[in-house]
Amino acid sequence: MAALQLLVNGVALGAAYALVALGFVLVLNATAAVNFAQGDLVMAGGLLGVAAAPLIPLPGIVLLPVVLALMAALGLLLAVVAYLPLRNRPPVSVFISTIAVGIILQNGAAILFGPEPRAAPPLFGDDTLRLGGLALPEQSLAIIAVAALLIGAQQWVFGRTQLGRRLRATAQDPEMARACGVPVTAMILVTFAIGAACAGAAGLLLANRYFVTPTAGGDLILKAYIAVTVGGWGSVPGAVVGALLIALFEVGVSSVLSYPVALGALYATLLAILVLRPQGLFGEAVRRRG
Amino acid sequence: MSALLSITGVSAGYGGADALDGVSLTVAAGETVALLGANGAGKSTLLKAVLGLVPARGELRFDGADLGGLATEARVRRGIGYVPEGRRVFPGMSVRDNLEVAGLAAARDRAEDVERVFALFPDLARKSRDSAWRLSGGQQQMLSLGRALMGRPRLLLLDEPSLGLSPKLADEVFAAIRHIAAAGTAVLLAEQSAARALSAAPRAVLLRLGRVVADGPVAALSEEAVRDAFFG
Repeated sequence: MAALQLLVNGVALGAAYALVALGFVLVLNATAAVNFAQGDLVMAGGLLGVAAAPLIPLPGIVLLPVVLALMAALGLLLAVVAYLPLRNRPPVSVFISTIAVGIILQNGAAILFGPEPRAAPPLFGDDTLRLGGLALPEQSLAIIAVAALLIGAQQWVFGRTQLGRRLRATAQDPEMARACGVPVTAMILVTFAIGAACAGAAGLLLANRYFVTPTAGGDLILKAYIAVTVGGWGSVPGAVVGALLIALFEVGVSSVLSYPVALGALYATLLAILVLRPQGLFGEAVRRRG
Repeated sequence: MSALLSITGVSAGYGGADALDGVSLTVAAGETVALLGANGAGKSTLLKAVLGLVPARGELRFDGADLGGLATEARVRRGIGYVPEGRRVFPGMSVRDNLEVAGLAAARDRAEDVERVFALFPDLARKSRDSAWRLSGGQQQMLSLGRALMGRPRLLLLDEPSLGLSPKLADEVFAAIRHIAAAGTAVLLAEQSAARALSAAPRAVLLRLGRVVADGPVAALSEEAVRDAFFG
Protein backbone atom coordinates (compact mmCIF):
# COMPACT_ATOMS: atom_id res chain seq x y z
CA MET A 1 0.00 0.00 0.00
CA ALA A 2 2.88 2.35 0.86
CA ALA A 3 4.40 1.69 -2.56
CA LEU A 4 1.09 2.53 -4.23
CA GLN A 5 0.89 5.75 -2.22
CA LEU A 6 4.40 6.68 -3.33
CA LEU A 7 3.48 5.85 -6.90
CA VAL A 8 0.55 8.30 -6.83
CA ASN A 9 2.71 11.02 -5.30
CA GLY A 10 5.51 10.34 -7.78
CA VAL A 11 3.21 10.36 -10.79
CA ALA A 12 1.63 13.65 -9.66
CA LEU A 13 5.03 15.28 -9.32
CA GLY A 14 6.21 13.65 -12.54
CA ALA A 15 3.16 14.91 -14.43
CA ALA A 16 4.08 18.49 -13.55
CA TYR A 17 7.76 17.88 -14.37
CA ALA A 18 6.62 16.40 -17.66
CA LEU A 19 4.97 19.68 -18.63
CA VAL A 20 8.19 21.55 -17.80
CA ALA A 21 10.28 19.11 -19.83
CA LEU A 22 7.77 19.11 -22.70
CA GLY A 23 7.97 22.88 -23.10
CA PHE A 24 11.75 22.70 -22.86
CA VAL A 25 12.13 20.01 -25.53
CA LEU A 26 9.65 21.62 -27.95
CA VAL A 27 11.69 24.83 -27.99
CA LEU A 28 14.91 22.83 -28.17
CA ASN A 29 13.69 20.96 -31.25
CA ALA A 30 12.31 24.00 -33.03
CA THR A 31 15.32 26.23 -32.47
CA ALA A 32 18.23 23.96 -31.47
CA ALA A 33 18.55 26.37 -28.56
CA VAL A 34 18.47 25.51 -24.87
CA ASN A 35 15.98 27.78 -23.16
CA PHE A 36 17.52 28.26 -19.73
CA ALA A 37 14.60 30.47 -18.70
CA GLN A 38 12.19 27.50 -18.74
CA GLY A 39 12.47 26.94 -14.97
CA ASP A 40 11.87 30.62 -14.27
CA LEU A 41 8.82 30.51 -16.55
CA VAL A 42 7.46 27.75 -14.28
CA MET A 43 8.02 30.04 -11.31
CA ALA A 44 6.33 32.90 -13.18
CA GLY A 45 3.29 30.70 -13.88
CA GLY A 46 3.05 29.77 -10.21
CA LEU A 47 3.26 33.38 -9.08
CA LEU A 48 0.73 34.43 -11.73
CA GLY A 49 -1.62 31.94 -10.11
CA VAL A 50 -0.82 33.40 -6.69
CA ALA A 51 -1.44 36.96 -7.95
CA ALA A 52 -4.63 36.12 -9.84
CA ALA A 53 -6.23 34.09 -7.05
CA PRO A 54 -7.54 37.10 -5.03
CA LEU A 55 -8.85 38.70 -8.24
CA ILE A 56 -10.68 35.55 -9.35
CA PRO A 57 -12.01 33.95 -6.14
CA LEU A 58 -12.88 30.66 -7.83
CA PRO A 59 -11.20 27.22 -7.86
CA GLY A 60 -7.71 27.18 -9.34
CA ILE A 61 -8.89 25.35 -12.44
CA VAL A 62 -10.55 28.61 -13.57
CA LEU A 63 -7.14 30.27 -13.34
CA LEU A 64 -5.58 27.70 -15.66
CA PRO A 65 -6.73 29.23 -18.99
CA VAL A 66 -5.77 32.70 -17.71
CA VAL A 67 -2.27 31.47 -16.77
CA LEU A 68 -1.94 29.59 -20.07
CA ALA A 69 -2.83 32.70 -22.10
CA LEU A 70 -0.61 35.09 -20.14
CA MET A 71 2.31 32.67 -20.18
CA ALA A 72 1.91 32.09 -23.93
CA ALA A 73 2.17 35.87 -24.36
CA LEU A 74 5.28 35.87 -22.17
CA GLY A 75 6.71 33.09 -24.35
CA LEU A 76 6.14 35.22 -27.46
CA LEU A 77 7.91 38.12 -25.76
CA LEU A 78 10.80 35.83 -24.80
CA ALA A 79 11.15 34.71 -28.43
CA VAL A 80 11.01 38.25 -29.80
CA VAL A 81 13.47 39.67 -27.26
CA ALA A 82 15.87 36.83 -26.51
CA TYR A 83 15.79 34.46 -29.48
CA LEU A 84 14.90 36.03 -32.84
CA PRO A 85 17.53 38.82 -32.77
CA LEU A 86 20.21 36.22 -31.95
CA ARG A 87 19.09 33.25 -34.04
CA ASN A 88 21.93 33.61 -36.55
CA ARG A 89 24.59 34.12 -33.90
CA PRO A 90 26.52 31.26 -32.23
CA PRO A 91 24.23 29.14 -29.98
CA VAL A 92 25.96 30.44 -26.85
CA SER A 93 24.32 33.83 -27.50
CA VAL A 94 20.85 32.34 -27.01
CA PHE A 95 22.01 30.38 -23.95
CA ILE A 96 23.17 33.64 -22.36
CA SER A 97 20.13 35.64 -23.44
CA THR A 98 17.73 33.07 -21.94
CA ILE A 99 19.79 32.96 -18.74
CA ALA A 100 19.49 36.76 -18.63
CA VAL A 101 15.72 36.57 -19.11
CA GLY A 102 15.56 34.03 -16.28
CA ILE A 103 17.49 36.32 -13.94
CA ILE A 104 15.22 39.24 -14.89
CA LEU A 105 12.16 37.09 -14.10
CA GLN A 106 13.66 36.00 -10.76
CA ASN A 107 14.48 39.53 -9.69
CA GLY A 108 11.18 40.90 -10.96
CA ALA A 109 9.37 38.24 -8.94
CA ALA A 110 11.46 39.01 -5.83
CA ILE A 111 10.58 42.71 -6.11
CA LEU A 112 6.86 42.06 -6.68
CA PHE A 113 6.28 39.13 -4.32
CA GLY A 114 9.20 39.04 -1.90
CA PRO A 115 11.29 35.95 -1.14
CA GLU A 116 8.72 34.06 0.97
CA PRO A 117 7.24 30.81 -0.34
CA ARG A 118 3.69 31.27 -1.60
CA ALA A 119 0.92 28.87 -2.49
CA ALA A 120 -1.50 29.04 -5.40
CA PRO A 121 -5.07 27.85 -4.80
CA PRO A 122 -5.82 24.16 -5.35
CA LEU A 123 -7.28 23.30 -8.74
CA PHE A 124 -10.52 21.89 -7.31
CA GLY A 125 -10.18 21.46 -3.56
CA ASP A 126 -7.65 20.48 -0.92
CA ASP A 127 -9.46 17.50 0.56
CA THR A 128 -7.98 14.03 0.62
CA LEU A 129 -9.91 11.07 -0.75
CA ARG A 130 -9.59 7.76 1.10
CA LEU A 131 -9.53 4.62 -0.99
CA GLY A 132 -8.86 1.57 1.14
CA GLY A 133 -5.68 2.49 2.96
CA LEU A 134 -4.70 4.91 0.22
CA ALA A 135 -4.78 8.68 0.84
CA LEU A 136 -5.34 10.51 -2.46
CA PRO A 137 -5.02 14.30 -2.20
CA GLU A 138 -7.45 15.90 -4.65
CA GLN A 139 -4.71 18.24 -5.80
CA SER A 140 -2.45 15.30 -6.76
CA LEU A 141 -5.24 13.74 -8.79
CA ALA A 142 -6.01 17.10 -10.38
CA ILE A 143 -2.34 17.59 -11.30
CA ILE A 144 -2.26 14.17 -12.99
CA ALA A 145 -5.54 14.80 -14.84
CA VAL A 146 -4.70 18.33 -15.99
CA ALA A 147 -1.16 17.42 -17.06
CA ALA A 148 -2.45 14.37 -18.94
CA LEU A 149 -5.07 16.54 -20.65
CA LEU A 150 -2.54 19.19 -21.66
CA ILE A 151 0.03 16.64 -22.87
CA GLY A 152 -2.74 14.81 -24.75
CA ALA A 153 -3.85 18.09 -26.35
CA GLN A 154 -0.27 18.82 -27.37
CA GLN A 155 0.04 15.34 -28.90
CA TRP A 156 -3.24 15.78 -30.77
CA VAL A 157 -2.26 19.19 -32.17
CA PHE A 158 1.19 17.94 -33.21
CA GLY A 159 -0.08 14.65 -34.62
CA ARG A 160 -3.37 15.53 -36.26
CA THR A 161 -3.41 19.16 -37.36
CA GLN A 162 -1.70 21.15 -40.10
CA LEU A 163 -0.29 23.47 -37.43
CA GLY A 164 1.27 20.45 -35.72
CA ARG A 165 2.74 19.16 -38.98
CA ARG A 166 4.26 22.56 -39.61
CA LEU A 167 5.67 22.71 -36.09
CA ARG A 168 7.20 19.24 -36.50
CA ALA A 169 8.61 20.06 -39.94
CA THR A 170 10.15 23.23 -38.52
CA ALA A 171 11.73 21.20 -35.73
CA GLN A 172 13.12 18.56 -38.12
CA ASP A 173 14.49 20.72 -40.94
CA PRO A 174 13.69 24.45 -40.83
CA GLU A 175 15.22 25.23 -44.23
CA MET A 176 13.26 22.47 -45.93
CA ALA A 177 10.14 23.52 -44.05
CA ARG A 178 10.56 26.99 -45.58
CA ALA A 179 10.96 25.39 -48.99
CA CYS A 180 7.59 23.70 -48.39
CA GLY A 181 5.92 27.05 -47.74
CA VAL A 182 5.92 26.78 -43.95
CA PRO A 183 6.22 30.17 -42.21
CA VAL A 184 9.08 29.04 -40.01
CA THR A 185 9.46 32.21 -37.94
CA ALA A 186 5.77 32.10 -37.03
CA MET A 187 6.14 28.43 -36.09
CA ILE A 188 9.07 29.26 -33.81
CA LEU A 189 6.96 31.95 -32.12
CA VAL A 190 4.12 29.46 -31.63
CA THR A 191 6.59 26.94 -30.18
CA PHE A 192 7.88 29.46 -27.65
CA ALA A 193 4.27 30.30 -26.73
CA ILE A 194 3.41 26.61 -26.22
CA GLY A 195 6.64 26.01 -24.28
CA ALA A 196 5.96 28.91 -21.92
CA ALA A 197 2.30 27.91 -21.53
CA CYS A 198 3.39 24.40 -20.53
CA ALA A 199 5.80 25.92 -18.00
CA GLY A 200 3.07 28.20 -16.67
CA ALA A 201 0.65 25.31 -16.28
CA ALA A 202 3.31 23.32 -14.41
CA GLY A 203 3.92 26.34 -12.17
CA LEU A 204 0.24 26.63 -11.30
CA LEU A 205 -0.02 22.88 -10.66
CA LEU A 206 3.08 22.76 -8.45
CA ALA A 207 2.53 26.02 -6.57
CA ASN A 208 -0.20 24.61 -4.36
CA ARG A 209 1.48 21.50 -2.94
CA TYR A 210 5.12 22.53 -3.27
CA PHE A 211 4.87 26.35 -2.94
CA VAL A 212 6.70 28.81 -5.16
CA THR A 213 9.55 31.23 -4.53
CA PRO A 214 11.31 33.57 -6.99
CA THR A 215 14.34 31.25 -7.12
CA ALA A 216 12.39 27.99 -7.53
CA GLY A 217 13.10 27.89 -11.28
CA GLY A 218 16.77 26.95 -10.90
CA ASP A 219 15.92 23.49 -9.59
CA LEU A 220 13.19 22.97 -12.19
CA ILE A 221 15.34 23.78 -15.24
CA LEU A 222 17.83 21.18 -13.99
CA LYS A 223 15.00 18.65 -13.67
CA ALA A 224 13.85 19.42 -17.21
CA TYR A 225 17.41 19.12 -18.48
CA ILE A 226 17.81 15.76 -16.72
CA ALA A 227 14.45 14.52 -18.03
CA VAL A 228 15.42 15.39 -21.61
CA THR A 229 18.87 13.81 -21.17
CA VAL A 230 17.41 10.65 -19.65
CA GLY A 231 14.67 10.42 -22.29
CA GLY A 232 16.97 11.13 -25.23
CA TRP A 233 18.00 14.61 -26.32
CA GLY A 234 15.22 15.96 -28.52
CA SER A 235 12.73 13.14 -28.00
CA VAL A 236 9.27 14.44 -26.99
CA PRO A 237 7.96 11.13 -25.56
CA GLY A 238 11.38 10.61 -23.99
CA ALA A 239 11.13 13.96 -22.18
CA VAL A 240 7.73 13.04 -20.73
CA VAL A 241 8.85 9.55 -19.67
CA GLY A 242 12.15 10.95 -18.35
CA ALA A 243 10.24 13.47 -16.21
CA LEU A 244 8.02 10.74 -14.77
CA LEU A 245 11.04 8.56 -14.03
CA ILE A 246 12.99 11.26 -12.20
CA ALA A 247 9.93 12.20 -10.12
CA LEU A 248 9.34 8.56 -9.15
CA PHE A 249 13.03 8.23 -8.34
CA GLU A 250 12.98 11.42 -6.27
CA VAL A 251 9.85 10.45 -4.33
CA GLY A 252 10.95 6.84 -3.84
CA VAL A 253 14.48 7.58 -2.61
CA SER A 254 13.27 10.52 -0.47
CA SER A 255 10.82 8.26 1.33
CA VAL A 256 13.47 5.64 2.14
CA LEU A 257 16.42 7.95 2.77
CA SER A 258 16.06 11.73 2.45
CA TYR A 259 15.47 14.43 -0.19
CA PRO A 260 19.14 15.54 -0.29
CA VAL A 261 20.20 11.92 -0.79
CA ALA A 262 17.57 11.57 -3.54
CA LEU A 263 18.91 14.65 -5.32
CA GLY A 264 22.50 13.45 -5.00
CA ALA A 265 21.55 10.02 -6.31
CA LEU A 266 19.60 11.65 -9.16
CA TYR A 267 22.63 13.61 -10.35
CA ALA A 268 24.86 10.54 -9.93
CA THR A 269 22.41 8.58 -12.10
CA LEU A 270 22.49 11.41 -14.65
CA LEU A 271 26.29 11.15 -14.79
CA ALA A 272 26.05 7.38 -15.20
CA ILE A 273 23.55 7.75 -18.07
CA LEU A 274 25.75 10.34 -19.77
CA VAL A 275 28.70 7.95 -19.59
CA LEU A 276 26.97 4.62 -20.25
CA ARG A 277 24.07 5.58 -22.53
CA PRO A 278 24.60 9.14 -23.75
CA GLN A 279 21.77 8.82 -26.27
CA GLY A 280 19.26 8.37 -23.39
CA LEU A 281 16.46 5.84 -23.22
CA PHE A 282 14.88 6.99 -26.49
CA GLY A 283 18.17 7.77 -28.20
CA GLU A 284 17.52 5.59 -31.20
CA ALA A 285 14.51 7.70 -32.14
CA VAL A 286 16.64 10.81 -31.85
CA ARG A 287 19.23 9.41 -34.23
CA ARG A 288 16.55 8.74 -36.80
CA ARG A 289 15.35 12.31 -36.63
CA GLY A 290 18.62 13.40 -38.19
CA MET B 1 6.59 32.25 -75.05
CA SER B 2 6.68 34.77 -72.19
CA ALA B 3 9.12 34.04 -69.38
CA LEU B 4 7.68 32.51 -66.22
CA LEU B 5 11.07 32.73 -64.51
CA SER B 6 13.52 35.43 -65.51
CA ILE B 7 17.02 35.52 -64.03
CA THR B 8 19.17 38.50 -64.97
CA GLY B 9 22.78 39.04 -63.88
CA VAL B 10 22.42 36.97 -60.71
CA SER B 11 25.44 36.38 -58.49
CA ALA B 12 25.18 34.37 -55.30
CA GLY B 13 27.31 32.31 -53.00
CA TYR B 14 28.25 31.36 -49.50
CA GLY B 15 30.26 33.30 -46.94
CA GLY B 16 31.38 36.02 -49.35
CA ALA B 17 32.58 33.63 -52.08
CA ASP B 18 30.39 33.74 -55.20
CA ALA B 19 29.41 30.39 -56.71
CA LEU B 20 27.36 32.20 -59.40
CA ASP B 21 28.74 35.05 -61.44
CA GLY B 22 26.20 37.14 -63.34
CA VAL B 23 23.96 34.31 -64.52
CA SER B 24 21.06 35.14 -66.84
CA LEU B 25 18.46 32.74 -68.16
CA THR B 26 14.71 32.38 -68.60
CA VAL B 27 12.22 29.54 -68.25
CA ALA B 28 8.90 29.87 -70.07
CA ALA B 29 5.59 28.63 -68.69
CA GLY B 30 5.36 24.88 -69.23
CA GLU B 31 8.94 24.63 -70.48
CA THR B 32 11.49 22.07 -69.23
CA VAL B 33 15.06 23.33 -69.09
CA ALA B 34 18.06 21.20 -68.13
CA LEU B 35 20.78 22.89 -66.11
CA LEU B 36 24.02 21.05 -66.76
CA GLY B 37 27.51 21.35 -65.37
CA ALA B 38 30.16 19.65 -63.32
CA ASN B 39 30.28 19.61 -59.53
CA GLY B 40 30.75 23.17 -58.32
CA ALA B 41 29.39 24.73 -61.51
CA GLY B 42 26.72 26.53 -59.51
CA LYS B 43 23.61 24.52 -60.41
CA SER B 44 22.40 23.95 -56.85
CA THR B 45 23.27 27.52 -55.86
CA LEU B 46 21.20 28.86 -58.76
CA LEU B 47 18.14 26.84 -57.68
CA LYS B 48 18.61 27.96 -54.08
CA ALA B 49 18.96 31.58 -55.20
CA VAL B 50 15.64 31.36 -57.07
CA LEU B 51 14.00 30.06 -53.90
CA GLY B 52 15.75 32.58 -51.65
CA LEU B 53 17.69 29.97 -49.70
CA VAL B 54 20.95 31.79 -50.46
CA PRO B 55 21.27 35.58 -50.73
CA ALA B 56 21.56 36.73 -54.34
CA ARG B 57 22.34 39.94 -56.20
CA GLY B 58 20.83 40.72 -59.58
CA GLU B 59 17.22 40.42 -60.73
CA LEU B 60 14.93 37.44 -60.17
CA ARG B 61 11.38 37.71 -61.55
CA PHE B 62 8.62 35.12 -61.38
CA ASP B 63 5.52 35.62 -63.49
CA GLY B 64 6.61 39.24 -63.95
CA ALA B 65 6.89 40.00 -60.23
CA ASP B 66 10.21 40.79 -58.55
CA LEU B 67 11.21 38.06 -56.09
CA GLY B 68 13.81 40.26 -54.40
CA GLY B 69 13.09 40.70 -50.69
CA LEU B 70 10.50 37.89 -50.63
CA ALA B 71 11.02 35.15 -48.02
CA THR B 72 11.40 31.57 -49.25
CA GLU B 73 7.94 30.57 -48.04
CA ALA B 74 6.39 33.50 -49.91
CA ARG B 75 8.14 32.41 -53.13
CA VAL B 76 6.78 28.88 -52.65
CA ARG B 77 3.30 30.30 -52.15
CA ARG B 78 3.62 32.13 -55.48
CA GLY B 79 4.03 28.79 -57.24
CA ILE B 80 7.64 27.61 -57.02
CA GLY B 81 8.23 24.02 -55.91
CA TYR B 82 11.61 22.63 -54.88
CA VAL B 83 13.07 19.14 -54.77
CA PRO B 84 16.44 19.39 -53.03
CA GLU B 85 19.56 17.37 -53.59
CA GLY B 86 19.56 14.44 -51.14
CA ARG B 87 15.73 14.37 -50.87
CA ARG B 88 15.57 15.85 -47.36
CA VAL B 89 12.23 14.35 -46.44
CA PHE B 90 11.09 14.96 -42.85
CA PRO B 91 12.33 11.64 -41.46
CA GLY B 92 10.25 11.45 -38.28
CA MET B 93 6.98 12.23 -40.05
CA SER B 94 4.78 9.75 -41.92
CA VAL B 95 4.64 9.72 -45.70
CA ARG B 96 1.18 11.29 -45.63
CA ASP B 97 2.26 14.00 -43.18
CA ASN B 98 5.31 14.77 -45.34
CA LEU B 99 2.90 15.46 -48.19
CA GLU B 100 0.23 17.25 -46.18
CA VAL B 101 2.68 19.65 -44.53
CA ALA B 102 3.60 21.03 -47.95
CA GLY B 103 -0.02 21.49 -48.97
CA LEU B 104 -1.03 25.11 -49.21
CA ALA B 105 -4.71 24.52 -50.03
CA ALA B 106 -7.63 24.04 -47.63
CA ALA B 107 -7.94 20.63 -45.91
CA ARG B 108 -10.34 19.03 -48.43
CA ASP B 109 -8.33 20.15 -51.48
CA ARG B 110 -5.16 19.11 -49.72
CA ALA B 111 -6.53 15.58 -49.30
CA GLU B 112 -7.30 15.48 -53.03
CA ASP B 113 -3.77 16.65 -53.80
CA VAL B 114 -2.40 13.81 -51.63
CA GLU B 115 -4.49 11.32 -53.60
CA ARG B 116 -3.13 12.77 -56.87
CA VAL B 117 0.42 12.22 -55.61
CA PHE B 118 -0.48 8.68 -54.55
CA ALA B 119 -1.88 8.03 -58.04
CA LEU B 120 1.44 9.18 -59.53
CA PHE B 121 3.51 7.17 -57.02
CA PRO B 122 1.50 4.09 -55.89
CA ASP B 123 4.45 2.95 -53.72
CA LEU B 124 3.86 5.96 -51.49
CA ALA B 125 0.16 5.14 -51.12
CA ARG B 126 1.08 1.68 -49.84
CA LYS B 127 3.43 3.21 -47.27
CA SER B 128 1.39 6.27 -46.38
CA ARG B 129 1.55 5.58 -42.62
CA ASP B 130 5.23 4.63 -42.51
CA SER B 131 7.78 7.10 -41.18
CA ALA B 132 9.73 8.63 -44.06
CA TRP B 133 13.05 7.34 -42.73
CA ARG B 134 11.84 3.80 -43.39
CA LEU B 135 11.56 4.41 -47.15
CA SER B 136 14.19 3.37 -49.69
CA GLY B 137 16.20 6.05 -51.47
CA GLY B 138 13.99 5.83 -54.53
CA GLN B 139 10.81 6.08 -52.50
CA GLN B 140 12.22 9.07 -50.61
CA GLN B 141 12.95 10.74 -53.95
CA MET B 142 9.35 10.11 -55.02
CA LEU B 143 8.17 11.53 -51.70
CA SER B 144 10.33 14.60 -52.15
CA LEU B 145 8.92 15.07 -55.65
CA GLY B 146 5.36 14.48 -54.47
CA ARG B 147 5.86 16.92 -51.60
CA ALA B 148 6.93 19.62 -54.04
CA LEU B 149 3.76 19.00 -56.07
CA MET B 150 1.55 19.58 -53.01
CA GLY B 151 1.98 23.34 -53.38
CA ARG B 152 0.55 23.10 -56.95
CA PRO B 153 3.66 24.73 -58.40
CA ARG B 154 3.83 26.39 -61.79
CA LEU B 155 7.61 26.00 -61.72
CA LEU B 156 9.44 23.01 -60.27
CA LEU B 157 13.12 23.28 -59.32
CA LEU B 158 14.73 19.84 -59.29
CA ASP B 159 18.21 19.36 -57.87
CA GLU B 160 19.94 16.13 -58.90
CA PRO B 161 16.83 13.93 -58.78
CA SER B 162 18.73 10.82 -59.94
CA LEU B 163 21.60 11.16 -57.48
CA GLY B 164 22.21 7.94 -55.54
CA LEU B 165 19.46 5.99 -57.31
CA SER B 166 19.81 2.76 -59.26
CA PRO B 167 19.30 3.17 -63.03
CA LYS B 168 15.87 1.54 -62.76
CA LEU B 169 14.71 3.89 -59.99
CA ALA B 170 16.21 6.88 -61.78
CA ASP B 171 14.20 5.89 -64.87
CA GLU B 172 11.02 5.80 -62.76
CA VAL B 173 11.76 9.22 -61.30
CA PHE B 174 12.42 10.69 -64.73
CA ALA B 175 9.23 9.14 -66.08
CA ALA B 176 7.38 10.99 -63.31
CA ILE B 177 9.21 14.23 -64.17
CA ARG B 178 8.14 13.88 -67.82
CA HIS B 179 4.57 13.27 -66.67
CA ILE B 180 4.65 16.40 -64.49
CA ALA B 181 6.12 18.47 -67.32
CA ALA B 182 3.56 17.13 -69.79
CA ALA B 183 0.80 18.32 -67.42
CA GLY B 184 2.05 21.87 -67.93
CA THR B 185 4.39 22.53 -65.00
CA ALA B 186 7.60 24.31 -65.97
CA VAL B 187 10.72 22.46 -64.81
CA LEU B 188 14.26 23.69 -64.18
CA LEU B 189 16.27 20.50 -63.82
CA ALA B 190 19.81 20.50 -62.40
CA GLU B 191 21.41 17.16 -63.15
CA GLN B 192 24.88 15.69 -63.43
CA SER B 193 23.74 12.88 -65.67
CA ALA B 194 23.70 14.82 -68.95
CA ALA B 195 22.21 11.98 -70.99
CA ARG B 196 19.28 11.61 -68.62
CA ALA B 197 18.66 15.36 -68.34
CA LEU B 198 18.82 15.89 -72.10
CA SER B 199 16.32 13.08 -72.61
CA ALA B 200 13.79 14.97 -70.49
CA ALA B 201 14.41 18.57 -71.62
CA PRO B 202 14.23 20.11 -75.07
CA ARG B 203 16.46 23.00 -73.95
CA ALA B 204 19.64 23.09 -71.87
CA VAL B 205 21.73 25.70 -70.10
CA LEU B 206 25.37 24.82 -69.52
CA LEU B 207 27.08 26.27 -66.45
CA ARG B 208 30.80 26.34 -65.84
CA LEU B 209 32.39 27.90 -62.75
CA GLY B 210 29.26 29.89 -62.04
CA ARG B 211 28.77 31.28 -65.55
CA VAL B 212 26.45 30.36 -68.41
CA VAL B 213 28.60 29.01 -71.24
CA ALA B 214 25.81 27.83 -73.54
CA ASP B 215 22.03 28.11 -73.69
CA GLY B 216 19.85 26.67 -76.41
CA PRO B 217 17.83 23.79 -77.80
CA VAL B 218 19.37 20.43 -77.01
CA ALA B 219 19.59 19.58 -80.71
CA ALA B 220 21.69 22.70 -81.32
CA LEU B 221 24.17 22.07 -78.48
CA SER B 222 27.42 20.59 -79.67
CA GLU B 223 28.82 17.54 -77.94
CA GLU B 224 31.97 19.59 -77.42
CA ALA B 225 30.12 22.33 -75.53
CA VAL B 226 28.56 19.76 -73.19
CA ARG B 227 31.93 18.09 -72.66
CA ASP B 228 33.55 21.46 -71.95
CA ALA B 229 30.90 22.29 -69.33
CA PHE B 230 31.71 19.11 -67.46
CA PHE B 231 35.44 18.75 -67.99
CA GLY B 232 36.66 22.26 -68.88
